[in-house]
Amino acid sequence: MSNIVEAKSLTKNYGSFTALDGVDLTIPRGSISGLIGPNGAGKTTTLKALIGLCDVDGDLSVAGRDPRIARHKLMEDVCFIADVGILPKWLKVSHVIDYVEAVHPRFDRKKAEKSLSTTDIPANKRIKDLSKGMVTQLHLALVMAIEVQLLVLDEPTLGLDIIYRKEFYDRLLNDFYDGNRTIIISTHQVEEIETLLSHLVFINKGKIVLDSLMSDLPDIYTEVLVDTDKVAQADALQPIYVRELLGKKSYTFESVSREQLKILGELHTPSVADLFVAKLKEEKHG
Amino acid sequence: MDKFALLQFYGLLKREVLEHRNLFIGAPAVVALLILVATIWVATQIDQSQLAEGLRYVSVLFDGLSPFDMAPFFMLLAVPFYLTLYVCSVIYLINTLYQDRKEMSVLFWQSMPVSNLQTVLSKIVAIVVVAPIFYVLIIFAMYLVAMVWLTILGISNDVDLVGIGYMFLAAIASLVLIYISALVTSLWLLPSVGWLLLFSAFAKKTPLLWAGGVFILVGFLEDFIFGTQYLANWVASRTSDPNQYLIFEFQSVFERVFNYDTLFGIVVGAILIAGAVFMRRFTD
Repeated sequence: MSNIVEAKSLTKNYGSFTALDGVDLTIPRGSISGLIGPNGAGKTTTLKALIGLCDVDGDLSVAGRDPRIARHKLMEDVCFIADVGILPKWLKVSHVIDYVEAVHPRFDRKKAEKSLSTTDIPANKRIKDLSKGMVTQLHLALVMAIEVQLLVLDEPTLGLDIIYRKEFYDRLLNDFYDGNRTIIISTHQVEEIETLLSHLVFINKGKIVLDSLMSDLPDIYTEVLVDTDKVAQADALQPIYVRELLGKKSYTFESVSREQLKILGELHTPSVADLFVAKLKEEKHG
Repeated sequence: MDKFALLQFYGLLKREVLEHRNLFIGAPAVVALLILVATIWVATQIDQSQLAEGLRYVSVLFDGLSPFDMAPFFMLLAVPFYLTLYVCSVIYLINTLYQDRKEMSVLFWQSMPVSNLQTVLSKIVAIVVVAPIFYVLIIFAMYLVAMVWLTILGISNDVDLVGIGYMFLAAIASLVLIYISALVTSLWLLPSVGWLLLFSAFAKKTPLLWAGGVFILVGFLEDFIFGTQYLANWVASRTSDPNQYLIFEFQSVFERVFNYDTLFGIVVGAILIAGAVFMRRFTD
């Protein structure tokens, strides 16, 4: 599988604040990649760098182009949805469609209109008069009508209720993703996208702390609910994270074989949320 | 330029008109309405026979004369529109690359396959070429209403309508001069266009304050360090004479554009516009 994104040593400073600190990142073509991190971790800066909206140092290639040199050419192959605020509020829905049709060579108006016809969004309403959920639906309908290789989503469902959030991801999977296109989703709401992902990246304080295919996670990470009499043995295997759970201790191990661990207690593959906490705590404690 | 590129540019211009319809259409429409209301009010204060006499005099004055020779008479009526366009242009240029960054919609615009050069050029063409078209159309509509009223007045007072027709033609001819004046003035003021765009693209807050403040600072530093006032004098020489803004005859267009002062200004403007395109790369 070739990579649609290849980034090496990406660095970005805002004054004395380092937003990206030597980020190395590869996104496999055809994957659904999750860029997970707490607020201020560098997610948005990374995504903005990928689409040429932020000047960074380092080597960067997206869909075979350097976004810093040819953003407008790159955007023929890449779509971007940030959180719900970015569609211009003064435009009418029909005007947005007109605009995208005028400027994007790969936009299919009929497809967008068909998609919008399944929603309650009126064409003559201004964006400012739509609910947050409707704005996101509209943006998604526009994006799904564009034949692109890569879709970049930055906190796309922030501020939406559970119905809109679920519908958003359902449409994304059913109407956009075809196995060839690539989706990068940044969020800190991990549970919401866990089941969608085929590739996982954790970022914290401008550094990548995990970069793995989801299918590789069970081979690398194991969570063990350790029997109380085996705690000393578990500690000796250098867990990356330990937490109290139902009166027992839950240990998370990295690159320790399951053969070694099965004598300690019940084994699981940690959820992405638990793994996220484990990796961030590991970072914090060194 | 291929067909798609032209359609794309048309789409960009349409966006500008939609976003700034108050500056492009609303403002001149209000001015036209105010002039019409004021004219009608004045007319109601004058005795009908005096009004008819005045119309008869004007009708005779214009009768048989070339509309283009008489067009300058109507240029005065265009002055309020001209000032409105001037103020609206400043408001537009200082906000156009700032407002979308402020409200974050820049991320949407930048997510489309449109280069920063195309974006900035579309904004310049919108205010320099397209906006004056709307102004001229609105002035035309105003003249049309006035002419209908004058024709009715003329018929009811037995005034020669041919003279009124000539007057209308002169008014139409003045619209061409007004439009050309607006275009030539834009070239003349291109350094101001570039300066405002540069700070519109650069400032994180209060772009007008930046544009004015930096200009004053540079002028002050020049005076303080070198003891000269070249910048201030140069700007004053380009803005102080009202004749620089209006063209009364077609013959003067060539010399107004192709002279050292204008061409030098175009070069300075182009450099500042290139700076605005460069600054547009950074949205954060």
